[in-house]
Amino acid sequence: MKIVPLEAYLILSLLLFGLGVFGMIVRRNLVAVLMSTELALNAVNVAFVGADSHLGLVDGQIFALFIIALAAVEAAVGLGIIVAIFRLRKVESSDELTDMGG
Amino acid sequence: MMQWIAFLFFASMTLLSALGVVLLPNIIYVILSLLSTLVMVAGIFFVAGAELVGALQLLIYAVAIAVFYILVLTAVPWEKALKKDSHYRVEGVLTFPILLAFYLEIILVFLLGISVSPKGQIREFIQSLGNTQVVGSILFSKYFFAFELVSLVLLVGMIGAVIIGRKEDKTYEDSSP
Repeated sequence: MKIVPLEAYLILSLLLFGLGVFGMIVRRNLVAVLMSTELALNAVNVAFVGADSHLGLVDGQIFALFIIALAAVEAAVGLGIIVAIFRLRKVESSDELTDMGG
Repeated sequence: MMQWIAFLFFASMTLLSALGVVLLPNIIYVILSLLSTLVMVAGIFFVAGAELVGALQLLIYAVAIAVFYILVLTAVPWEKALKKDSHYRVEGVLTFPILLAFYLEIILVFLLGISVSPKGQIREFIQSLGNTQVVGSILFSKYFFAFELVSLVLLVGMIGAVIIGRKEDKTYEDSSP
């Protein structure tokens, strides 16, 4: 049952989270930044489920379900904010938001 | 052995698709890479024996959230973004080793905790019942209050998204002196 060791899950989670944070910093497009956030959330889910299969528990899977639900909320609110920003300011890149249009 | 092969396939495809999400310039290809990443992470959940989480990953993430992103991409005109010369903020690369060091520290702490924690008390209980039944019974007994709180957060997020995304009646232009 438990052939894949815990370290493999943790290394995959580390690499996926690093790529997510990297994308959050490097991308200019706001929607791409949100998608990189989804990558980081998935990395946390992989760590939870891998720890579960190592420990023989299911609590981490329940927290993974909570993270999936909260990721849906985050996508809804974030994309709503992006659409509102685009409608009000006509910008879609994250560097053009730094100036205050008083 | 079969499990190793499946895990290595899903893990390598996950990392490749995640690289596509981070590096591809066109936003349509980025969302296709994100979809591939989500499906491959669901495969990793199936390999780890978490059938319920894998199925919900496919249902919620790979269908609902991906369709939602595509809907927003069709609602916002991206021509200006596509003809921008650089899609990346190159100086952000400098912060990457620091973040990686922080996350390695988290992994080390996690491994220490794993090495001293007891394991496998309820594994026979899980294998006698099946994954979905165990997750459901613990979710609705031990984590019932947290489950209700998550549903409340979903409600608040839905109302907030509706209010934020609503069309304003030119209040920003009219209120300026």
